[in-house]
Formats: sequence, C-alpha cells, structure tokens
Amino acid sequence: MENNNTFAEMYSEYLRDESRQTGMAESISFPKTEEEIISDLKKCVYKNMEITTQGARTGLAASAVPFGGHIINLSKMNKVTGARYEKESGRFFLKVQPGVLLTEVRKYLTNKSFVTLDWDEQSREALNYMEKNQWFYSTDPTEISASIGGMTACNASGAKSFRYGSTRDHVESLRVVLADGDILSLRRGQCMARDGHFELVTESGRTIKGELPKYKMPHVRKNTSGYYNKPHMDMIDLFIGADGTLGIISEIEIELSKKQAANWGVTVFMPDEDKALDLVRVARGEKVFEDMEALSLKPSAIEFFSHNALEMLKVQQKTNSAFASIQEIKDVYHTAVYIEIENDSDDEIWKGIDCLGTCIEKLGGDEDATWVANNPTSLEKLHSFRHACPECVNMQIDIAKKTDSRITKLGTDMSVPDDKLKEVMKMYNEDIKKNNLHAVIFGHVGNNHLHVNTIPRNMEEYKRGKELYLTWAEKIAAMGGAVSAEHGVGKLKVPFLQKMYSKEELDEMRSLKKLFDHTQLLNRGAVFPFEKGEDI
Amino acid sequence: MANISIIKEKCVGCKKCVGACPFGAIDIKDKKADINEKCTLCGSCADSCKFHAINFVRDEIVQKDLSSYRGIWVFAEQRYGKLKTVSFELFAKARDLSERLEVPVTAVLLGNNIKNLAQELCAYGADEVLVMEAEWLDDFNDHVYGEVMIQLINEYKPEIVLIGATSNGRSLAPHISSTLRTGLTADCTVLEADKGERLLLQTRPAFGGNLMATIVCPNNRPQMATVRPKVFKPLVPDYTKTGKITILPVPSPIESFVKKIRNIDNEEGANLSDADIIVSVGRGIGSEKNIQLAQELADSLGGALGSSRPVVDQGWMPYSQQVGQTGKTVAPKIYIACGISGAIQHLAGLADIETIVAINIDPDAPIFKVANYCIVGDVREILPLLTKEIREAKK
Amino acid sequence: MKIIVCIKQVPGTNEVKMDPTTNTIIRENVASIINPFDTYAIEEAVRIKERYGAEIYGLSMGIPAASEMLREAISLKIDKAMLLTDRKFAGADTLATSYALSRGVEKIGAYDLIICGKQATDGDTAQVGPSLAKTLGIAYATDISKIIELNYGFMRCMKITDDGYEEIEIKLPALITVVKEINMPRLPSIKSMRNAKSAEIEIVTSKDAAADENRTGLKGSPTQVRKTFVPVHDVNSIYISGSTEEQSKKLAEILLGKES
Repeated sequence: MENNNTFAEMYSEYLRDESRQTGMAESISFPKTEEEIISDLKKCVYKNMEITTQGARTGLAASAVPFGGHIINLSKMNKVTGARYEKESGRFFLKVQPGVLLTEVRKYLTNKSFVTLDWDEQSREALNYMEKNQWFYSTDPTEISASIGGMTACNASGAKSFRYGSTRDHVESLRVVLADGDILSLRRGQCMARDGHFELVTESGRTIKGELPKYKMPHVRKNTSGYYNKPHMDMIDLFIGADGTLGIISEIEIELSKKQAANWGVTVFMPDEDKALDLVRVARGEKVFEDMEALSLKPSAIEFFSHNALEMLKVQQKTNSAFASIQEIKDVYHTAVYIEIENDSDDEIWKGIDCLGTCIEKLGGDEDATWVANNPTSLEKLHSFRHACPECVNMQIDIAKKTDSRITKLGTDMSVPDDKLKEVMKMYNEDIKKNNLHAVIFGHVGNNHLHVNTIPRNMEEYKRGKELYLTWAEKIAAMGGAVSAEHGVGKLKVPFLQKMYSKEELDEMRSLKKLFDHTQLLNRGAVFPFEKGEDI
Repeated sequence: MANISIIKEKCVGCKKCVGACPFGAIDIKDKKADINEKCTLCGSCADSCKFHAINFVRDEIVQKDLSSYRGIWVFAEQRYGKLKTVSFELFAKARDLSERLEVPVTAVLLGNNIKNLAQELCAYGADEVLVMEAEWLDDFNDHVYGEVMIQLINEYKPEIVLIGATSNGRSLAPHISSTLRTGLTADCTVLEADKGERLLLQTRPAFGGNLMATIVCPNNRPQMATVRPKVFKPLVPDYTKTGKITILPVPSPIESFVKKIRNIDNEEGANLSDADIIVSVGRGIGSEKNIQLAQELADSLGGALGSSRPVVDQGWMPYSQQVGQTGKTVAPKIYIACGISGAIQHLAGLADIETIVAINIDPDAPIFKVANYCIVGDVREILPLLTKEIREAKK
Repeated sequence: MKIIVCIKQVPGTNEVKMDPTTNTIIRENVASIINPFDTYAIEEAVRIKERYGAEIYGLSMGIPAASEMLREAISLKIDKAMLLTDRKFAGADTLATSYALSRGVEKIGAYDLIICGKQATDGDTAQVGPSLAKTLGIAYATDISKIIELNYGFMRCMKITDDGYEEIEIKLPALITVVKEINMPRLPSIKSMRNAKSAEIEIVTSKDAAADENRTGLKGSPTQVRKTFVPVHDVNSIYISGSTEEQSKKLAEILLGKES
C-alpha cells in the first residue's frame, strides 16, 4: 500500500470518475491477483478503513469515487485468463479479470489475439473453435473504455440492450472476495434462492444463510436501482449490479454472442414527437394502427433524439469543426428515431426496412426523410451522430462550468414500463417548460429509458434542474418505473432510490449487505445511506 | 486481343498464382486455377507460376521507331518567379538517369520574366534550359501550359518527361500524356533506367502502399512520370556550372476555357514539407484538446505539427497538415509519431527520414516496425513530460 | 442540364496482407464499394440537381458485378446509370480507361458537366479525370472544393492548390474533379433505396459503345506492369523502457543529441 503526505496530489485522478465528482482517500493499492485483493482487504478491515473498489472509473454515478479510507484499484488485473466452448449448445465464454477493458476484449475478439501463455489446456483448445471476428460481447455502453468488472458491478447496458439485455444476461460465473477475505464462487443455475431464502457456501466451507428482502422490483425493461431481488432468484444476480457493496469481484466469466452477417441502421426523422413515439412502438412490435402488418424485423437498438437534441447538433455542426463531419440535418427534421437491426442476411433486413417505410408513411412521416446505413462505414456515421449528442452536452456543460465550477452534468437515467412512455415524455416536456430550463432528450427509447440532459446556463438553473430531477424520481417511481436504468445508483443517486423504495425496504437492503460485510466497509454510502448498525 | 488462360494439363493446383494476384481474380476449381472476371491482365500470375501453366499473350504491337526520341526533360515549375523545390529534386534524379542513358538533362521553364531562373536550374543539374517567356504565360494554366508543352515535345522529342506531383503538376501531366497518347505514371518513388531497352522503370505504390509496382512504357514516347515533393533529394547546387540556355520563340497566345479569377494563398506558416522536425499526431491522442500537447512539444523543438488521416477526418487538424498517401510526403530529419498506429498509407508519406520516433500504447502497432526509437506508452502522459525535459534542457 | 458522374468500384480496403514466408498476397474477402472520392462527386451532382434541376447519369467501367455498385449510386439519388463492361476493356491503364469512358459519355450524349472524384483509392493516380476531358476535348479543372455559381455556359468555383485556393471560371461543357471538402455525402433513404432496387442499369459493351479496340484494354494501354513486390521496412528499433518519466528523459536526450 502506498501512503504519503501528497496522496491527493499524486493520485488525484483516482479520486474522480466520469460523474465528475471528486472525493478523498488516504491510500490506494493496485492488486494484481486475487490473493493481493484478500491481503489488502484484510489490512483495511484490521484498521477499520472504508474501501472503495475501482475499475476504469468510467461510471456516471460516482460509485468509484472514494469518500475516505482506502482505494482498491483493479486496473492491473487486466488479463483474459481463459476461454470455454460448449460444443453441444455452441456457447462461447471468456474468463476475465475485473480490470480488463471492454475495448480490449473487443480488440482480442476481432483479431483473435489473446495472450494465452498462462491459459490451461482446455482454454487453448476452446480457442480452436473460435473464428476471428465472429464473436462479440454484446453489452455496449457508450463508454467503451469501461472495465468488465465495473460493468458487472453496475450491471451496465447500452444501446443494443434492447435486443441483448444488460450485463446480467451475459455473466455466467463470478468469484467474489468478501470483506473477511473469504471467497464466494458463483455459477449461474447452481445457487438458487427458494421462497426468499438462500444458502451460500464460501470456499472456506462457511455457510451464509439469509433471507431476501420483500420489495418488488419495477416492471421495466431496464433496471439498476438497488439490489436485484426475486423470491426464486439466482443468487449470482445479487452480486451483479450491487455497486461493489457486497464484495469485490475478482473474476468474471462472460458469455459471448455470435456476430450476425448483416448489420444495418436507419435514422428516421418524424414530423413531431408524438409520431416519433408511435414509430418507436411500431419498431418494438406494438400494433399501433389497424391493418398494420407486423414488422418482420427485430431491432437490436431503438434510440431517440428530441427536437432540441437535433437543434443542438445542427448548431454545433455549423459552428464547431469537431462536429462538421456528422450528417446534415435538414430544417424540416423535427424528432428522430434510430433503429439498428442485425440479421443473417441483407435481404431479410431490407424486407423489414421496406415494411418500416410503409409504416412511417402511414404514421404521417416521410420515408425519404431517413438515413439508411447498410455497411460498416455508413453505420459508423450513424453511430457518431448518436454519440455526438452526449459529446455536445458535455461541451456545453464545460462552458457553463466557466460561470460556476460547481456545475456538473445533469443527466437522468430513469426507465418506465412500456405503456408509460408517452406519459413520461409529456411529464419531461411540461416540467422543463414550466421551470424555464433548456434540456435535450435522447437515449434508449426502445427500453423507455431516456437521458434527459438539462443544460444549465448558470448556477441558479443548475439548482433548479437538480431539484426537478428529484421530483421526477418520485413521479417515475409512482409510475412503476426505475430511478436508475443503467448507470447504477452509486453514491450520486442515493436520494433518488429513497424516492423509489421506502425506509423499510432500504433497511432490508442494508441488512443484506451486513450479512456479507457486517462492518459496512465496502463502498460505504453507495446504493443507500450509511447508518451505523447496532452490532458495531 | 490480349488473353490470359490456364493450361489445365500443366496446372498442379499449387495456388501460388492465387497469392500472386493482386486483384483476387484467381479461384481454384477442381484443383486447377481458374481466372475470373476480376482479372486486369496484369500478368503477375504468369510470372509466379513455376509450371508455366499460365499462358499470357499480349497483343502484337507494331514496333514503332522510337529512336528519334532522346533526352530527359524536367518541367521546372515556378510560381511568382520562384522555383518549386520539387523541380530541384527532379534534377538530381534526372542526372542519375542521364548518366545511365548518356543523354542530356533539359529543363523547360515557362512563365513571364523568369529567364533569370535558368542559371539556377543549371546549378541544380540541368545541362540545357528551354525558356519561354510571355505575358500570357505569367500564371499557371493547365490548358495553356499543356498545349505549349505538347508543341515543344513534338518538336524536340524527349524520351522522358518528369513532372513534380504538385497540385499543378498532377493536373498538367495527364493533359500532355493523353493528348500525346503516351503513358504516364503518377507518384513514382523509384525511377531507374534500363539502357538496353531505353526504358524508364517507374516504381510506385499500389493498394495504398501495400504493394509496389514497377511500370514501363515500352511503345510510346515520351515516357512520363510524376514524382511527389520530398521523395528525392536535390543536389548541392554548383553555381559555377553553366548550361545551354535557349530562349524560345513565343507562339501566338493560347486561349483557355478555364480562367483564373484570383489566387487566395494560404498564409505563410510553418510548412510541413520543409520542416526539419515534425511532431505528428494520430488517433491515440484521444481528443482535439490534447493536440495542444503535441503542439507544445513541436514548439519546444522548433518543429512543425503533422497528423495522420483519422485526425484530419475527425476535423481536429486541417488537411494541409496530413501526412501520408492522401496527404503530404515529408522528409524531416526527425519524425515523432504520437499515437499513430502506422497504417501503410501513413508510412507512404514518410520519405527519407533519418530518425523516426514512435510513441504508442499498442505494442503491436505497425509504426514500431519502422521506428528507430520506440516507446510503448500513453502519448498523453509522455508528451507533457517530454516537453518539460526538452524545455529544461534548452534553458 | 445533364450531368455525368464517373464512378469506380474499388475494394473496401487497401489492406493487402502478405504472407511473409511465401511472399504472396493473402486476400480476405473484401467487399467492393463506391470509390469514396466519387461519393462526393455524386453528392455534388445531386445538390446541383436539387438547386438548378438536372438529370444525372452515373457512368462506370468495370466487371459485370459493378452494376450493383451503380445501383447503390442510384440509391444516392442519381437518375440513371450505365456500365461499360467487356473483356476487351480489361487491363486498361488510365489512358485506355479514359478512352472507354469517353465512348460511354458520347453514347449518353449532350452533357453539360462531368464530375469525377479527385482520384480512386485503389490507384491514387488522379489521372482519369483530366485524361477523359482531353479525350473528349473539353475544359477541365481538378480539385474543386466549391461550386459558387452555375449558369448555362459557365461555372465559377474554388479549386484547392498547394498554395491555397484559386477562384476560377470554366466554360461548359466541362469536367471537374472534386475533393472531399466540397460536401458531406448523404446516406440513402428508404425511398431512394426502393427506387434503386427496381432501377435498370444500362449495360454497354465495347461494340455498343463503338469503341476502337486498339484504344481499349491492355492493347490501348501504353503503360505495362513489369513486376510487383512488397515493400520491406528494415529498421533496427530501439525500445526505450522504464517509467514514463524515465522514458521521457531518455527520449529527450536522444532528440536533443540528434538536433544539434
């Protein structure tokens, strides 16, 4: 462990993450093995020091920002340690250390360039079944320099989670180092809860018995708000999306997906927001009008750009050279929906797109007001158009920051059930207008999961925006929605979760944490507020 | 008509020709090679076949008498009475060729009030200078200059014409070659002469530099080639050297359908092509604002800032600073590649460089294969430290 | 007015991997695409059409499969397309290509403007545009970055040069080659793709185009490829190791040593 007077100076970058919050710490360590994690943990517990676990610090909910104590940074545990191929089912798995970055995994898979020196025989043999650039890891957060460990800790997802689900759906096994240095090795399907009761056996042979909370999770397509909880759940799911509060993940086995031969994207510009939302419903298979043919395509992503988002991009495109290369937005374009489709054949996709065109016209849109990408180069153009949204927002926040350094990004991450999509949009629009704020809305509309980004021009607007978010958390909880859909609760959104779950329900979560980490040293203050327990 | 075919009896299906074909035009069917429609009749496969199983027949061409064509010409491009440096570079190469072919090197100098430049051309290697001065030749015009060149070539019959691949040269050369219906090879990087056949062997990058092709023009004259600036090194000028300077009679003015209204010149800045030290940034720099880190290093070293194509495509740097196949060819003493992976297209823009330094986070980046000094690391961390070291040392 | 856009089919990537032991080409199945520079030519023609009204012909010389590429060009909103395809065209250098294209242009007839991309990414010669203009006997200007004004009889535009820009005026009919600064090519729409699916591509042989066989293909090409080879980079690389501070210090010493 390294500890000295100028800690804050030397390790200042480790006191921050992408949430742009800055914390403090006393020491940091960079374990390279599971044994080193255990030894670091034991030292901390001995000194009663809080522990913050870090991956690549790309999180947006300040989960990796320390507020005192010690930092365990896993960036040096960055190896892919094995592979597994199930011939019967044709499933492919990779075993990775938590600090491996998503970009690295992608690079290895594209070029099939794994470093197999330390792999066992079985893993090397599995690789013989892998063709270059044929497999991918389907979770696709915008921040591709995220670590797999971090993604698992917050159950990250991305645009394509509409089709592929979130991290949870692709984690096959986990090794978790508990606060006392004991280890839980969890494999999917092998440790199921029964009627809200569970029993887990650690590597040292200790049995942890417990009761699951009573609260029900919201019925939404995407959720990372608090601990995963179902009476008959697979216990591995408790540790996915737990924001590092239950243990430190030391190894993950992820399942890969097979690449499909054809991948198209289409950005559709609709004449108003309501029609755009109807198109979203069409794209995800709802029957929006009579005589509607069922859409034969199954999108992997459905994304949304509000009118203001398009206007923002339009201005940037003309004035900022960094955005000069995005596609030209015509003045008649009002609101946009982006749909991405994967299939084995281009012809199949075209059939779906052709049908989509007919629906667009029926909804009052213009099928000529579309951008179709049917090859990797043009798809990349649509992707950079999509990514330009958050980039533009960040840029404008940086400008606002010059008026007051306390201003940070104000983006929501809430999701609602399918039938509440229009209602929640109406709420956002009205509240933004009522509060006289400027905001752009974009994001994963297929999952009813939109990022509302308020762009404050000064501190006063920033405060008003922040208050507004808290009222939204409350209203969305009332709609049966989730206050965090993909970023995790972390430390930033604890007040939001308090709007979603009652004090008693949060206490249930806390009891669960104490079962695994009874002195509550691991990522204290994340998910729910820290409260001193009686048993300390 | 020219034809290429597989002699099935001789073909053993060894696939050597498949690998030799740059166009993917050979498949193996029934264990024999089979040439498909993608074939461009380049003949690469015929050369590669050890079993003489590929029959490549070129058309019978009536051998023309080309013996009246002698001598090497260099188009001496000037602007505002100042010669372009690429002309000097071409003379150095032309001298090489002339010694081999035993013919003189002639400079062709067109413009207005430019005859004083003729002496300089001799100093750089011209044996003769043909000068034509006229008011209507004052400013470069593809059509006007092209027509004058054609008239002169028809009259003097040079066997080789070299033109600098500047923006003007690249536009002028095809005008001349297609009117004369002769061959033209663009952006040559190697020029050699075959004395026996009196052929100019013109080597240029193909497929973005992944492959080099040597091209000849056997039956037409003159043999024309363009060469990009900085590919060859000029000779040290010898101002004591004299040459034969001929002031040509001026024909009646040539009209052009293209009229220049005005020139809008770039401001004179640090010119990439002339810099001794270039700090060049690639995608690894991460963001537009990090380019400042490279700029600071360039400033501390008194060098210029260059970039790879992705950075220009992103709009982070202007096209004028792009190094590579579709950008500029550069030949500084020191080239520092920061976060540049080193795709072959980029390497194609690096001419004769004494020292290449590569800083890249990816140990497998191809740039390391050509670099003299390599640092595997994050440019964003190393650049500020390096700048600091240089500044302190220079204090 | 009538505009002809010349379009070439090129490999989607120039990545030609070589097998270092046998020195042969490992060609992975690379999809063919429209030469990227030609997409700017297509877009500029479409913008002229939208502004002034025009009929746009796409013209290409290539293998029969290139008709699909022309179909893609139609999805980018050109009106009609012609493909010159014939074994007699095979092996053409830039001069023979220009001649064949000129026959296609004559067959289309009565044009006002021809637009080409500045160069093709597979050959990078930038010769076919000017050569085609000379073969047709019309004016040309290369590296056009902006069309300022277009009238019957002439156009005014900006041309990029090594030294900056030139504003020029060209008498029509003429040929221009365009650089990527000129516009941002659009993507096809569902509607334009549907149009393209049913569009007819005119296939023209050497005979149809009344081409002189002595001027096409290998026979009409003054240049010949004598040999191809793989460039070798033979460098002794020195790796500088240590912490970033140490690396920087060592490199600074080396650079300062070289500089003096």
